[in-house]
Amino acid sequence: MLESWIELARGPLLRLALLAMAVGLLRQVLLQVWEISWAFHRAGDQVVPWRVALRRNLEWLLPWRYLQRKERRAYNFTSFLFHVGVIAVPLFLAGHVAIWNQELGLSWWTLPPAVADWLTAITVVAALGLLLGRMVNSASRVISKFQDWALPVLCILPFVTGFWVAHPLWSPFDAQVVYLVHLLSAELLLILVPFSKLVHMVLFWVSQTSSELGWRFPPGSGERVRVTLGKETEGI
Amino acid sequence: MEAEIRTLPEVSQDVLASLRPPSLTPEKIQERLSYIIEKDRVVGDLPRRFLEAFAAVLKHTNYRQVIDNYARIPARCANCACACQIYQQTHDPKDVPCYRSNLLLEVYRRHFTLRGIVEGHLSGAPFLTDDLILEMAETYYHCTACRRCTLECPLGIDHGLVTHLARYVLSEIGLVPRALVISTREQLEGQTRNTSAIPWPAIADTLEFLEEEIKDDKGVDVKFPVDQPGREFIFFAPVSDYLMEAETLMGIAVVFYATGAMDSWTISTEFLDGINYGLFYSDWILERCLREELEQLRRLEARKILIGECGHASRSAKAFMRTFGGGEKAPPVVNIMEYTYRALKEGKLRLDPDVISERVTYHDPCNLARTGWIIDEPREILRSFCRDYVEMEPRGQWNLCCGGGGGTVSVDEIRPYRTGVTGVKKAEQIRATGAHYVVAPCANCKKQLREVCEDNGLDDVEVVGLHDLIYKAIVLE
Ligand code: SF4
Ligand code: SF4
Repeated sequence: MLESWIELARGPLLRLALLAMAVGLLRQVLLQVWEISWAFHRAGDQVVPWRVALRRNLEWLLPWRYLQRKERRAYNFTSFLFHVGVIAVPLFLAGHVAIWNQELGLSWWTLPPAVADWLTAITVVAALGLLLGRMVNSASRVISKFQDWALPVLCILPFVTGFWVAHPLWSPFDAQVVYLVHLLSAELLLILVPFSKLVHMVLFWVSQTSSELGWRFPPGSGERVRVTLGKETEGI
Repeated sequence: MEAEIRTLPEVSQDVLASLRPPSLTPEKIQERLSYIIEKDRVVGDLPRRFLEAFAAVLKHTNYRQVIDNYARIPARCANCACACQIYQQTHDPKDVPCYRSNLLLEVYRRHFTLRGIVEGHLSGAPFLTDDLILEMAETYYHCTACRRCTLECPLGIDHGLVTHLARYVLSEIGLVPRALVISTREQLEGQTRNTSAIPWPAIADTLEFLEEEIKDDKGVDVKFPVDQPGREFIFFAPVSDYLMEAETLMGIAVVFYATGAMDSWTISTEFLDGINYGLFYSDWILERCLREELEQLRRLEARKILIGECGHASRSAKAFMRTFGGGEKAPPVVNIMEYTYRALKEGKLRLDPDVISERVTYHDPCNLARTGWIIDEPREILRSFCRDYVEMEPRGQWNLCCGGGGGTVSVDEIRPYRTGVTGVKKAEQIRATGAHYVVAPCANCKKQLREVCEDNGLDDVEVVGLHDLIYKAIVLE
């Protein structure tokens, strides 16, 4: 019984989840690119500091910008560690690369097992740290929504179960159940990517540019808004 | 009006139908937000009008792509809250920048995205209510649009932009501080063509008086050039300078005298006010003000636009002149401090280091410093002749807002808020420097800082412009 479930989760479900994520992300990217080009086309000032915007994105990817400031230093650094883990482990763990190889026919560099173990542990601890940080900081606590709590928890699941899959002796649960939970939770996450704030993995790259373009007005837009609202003859 | 709604693609009839019936009277609105105009006086009915205005704005502007992005990605990490001096003062959840921006983003998400509309259908609850609109009207004028928080957002969310957009939509339904509307109306549609409603003859008198003052103080003949064609610069100062900041204007005039460039600038009699409240609340107004400046530049065949000591006037011209002035063809925009700095570097200014013996510090106007535009120039000028110059912390790009940014300084009704909440951190900063002179090269900052000092017991502090001190120290022969 469990075996057939695992088969399903390993094969068709995994492919479905990956496909759903890819299609969803592609849609988001295309929409955003289209919107940005449209905005650019209409802008009266087409000098957009693309490079500066990209540089600001890169600055936030690396930790030393926020390591220099004392506010939220620990939280931001935890977030950095967490992101390293959630990107590196799914992509570069030897067992995963084997799957990618089998599914896509592509193969690449893999993490040494010991490093992968440590990274997994760090990711889990970092996720807990982020949740804790969210809880103790009153500002982030009040602005948090359901997904801000749920997603880190959901991220912890595949990492913990994945660790047990690699080290069955440490696992308190049945190996097959653990494996199934690992697969299903990871797939759920993949499917959620385009529909949750996880979409920042692709939209993050354009947000700084978007902000710049938001300030690049189309000339005459103010007047056109007035006309649309039927107020063209009205004074201030 | 019905037909009108149907031609707007973004607000669906279902959404409109789901809105609650109007519950507010103009009196109630006035009571809650006494400084806000509800011009149209359509009783209640705010949600429908808000959505229509929002739809029209999204249709014709470039905001959609950016708020769509913002609505999808927020990390809700609260980094921004650490950077916001208002939140740091109040610790009120409503002052978390991300919370505030989310009000508008949520309206967008619920009423302008497919998913939001479907969700709204399923839940059946009307989302946009009178109360939410009034909350927005209030909170978006609590934010000073200083954009300090933007430096701290890992996702690059620009809360200044969201605040600007929200105020823009609100202004299109008549919710905008009265002080801003009245001044703008006088500036663009009134007789005097300036925000303080000073008729030209009065300004001409002032200029003549200032010329005599300069003669008395400095012994030289300095004329304020008026309507002179073919000059390099056409000069726009915030008009309030002509009433209240005489020393700033005299300082600017003597800098031109000292550089031997008396015939390189001119003031226009038709439109001389650099103030552009459009930057604070309306793209429509922003464009109209800048077009007036361009018009005067053409009329007097000047080549560059020179803005006096004013943060928002400078930023609105600098950042948007290309937009409305034809991209590449737009005239360059120069702030007076850049001009004076160049004069100093070229060795054309003689500033007597023995005149200013009191301690001096410098306040960075957000609109000049946040993007890193003008930070070092005024400091170098000040250090060249002020013996006891000290810095505030934080400063430069990371400066704290005076507390009256985003046009809030003009709203006298909220002075207790400006000096008791937003300006408190600034008062502490100034106190820590022990300075006598706080140099603030911005008409808005000057007014706000004077009130902040007054209300926070900083009685010995004198808030001045950069050119005020230059005027005192300059040596002319
Ligand atoms: S810093 Fe940015 S992502 Fe974090 S809470 Fe503020 S707006 Fe949201
Ligand atoms: S723009 Fe300034 S006042 Fe407004 S939320 Fe950001 S830091 Fe606070």
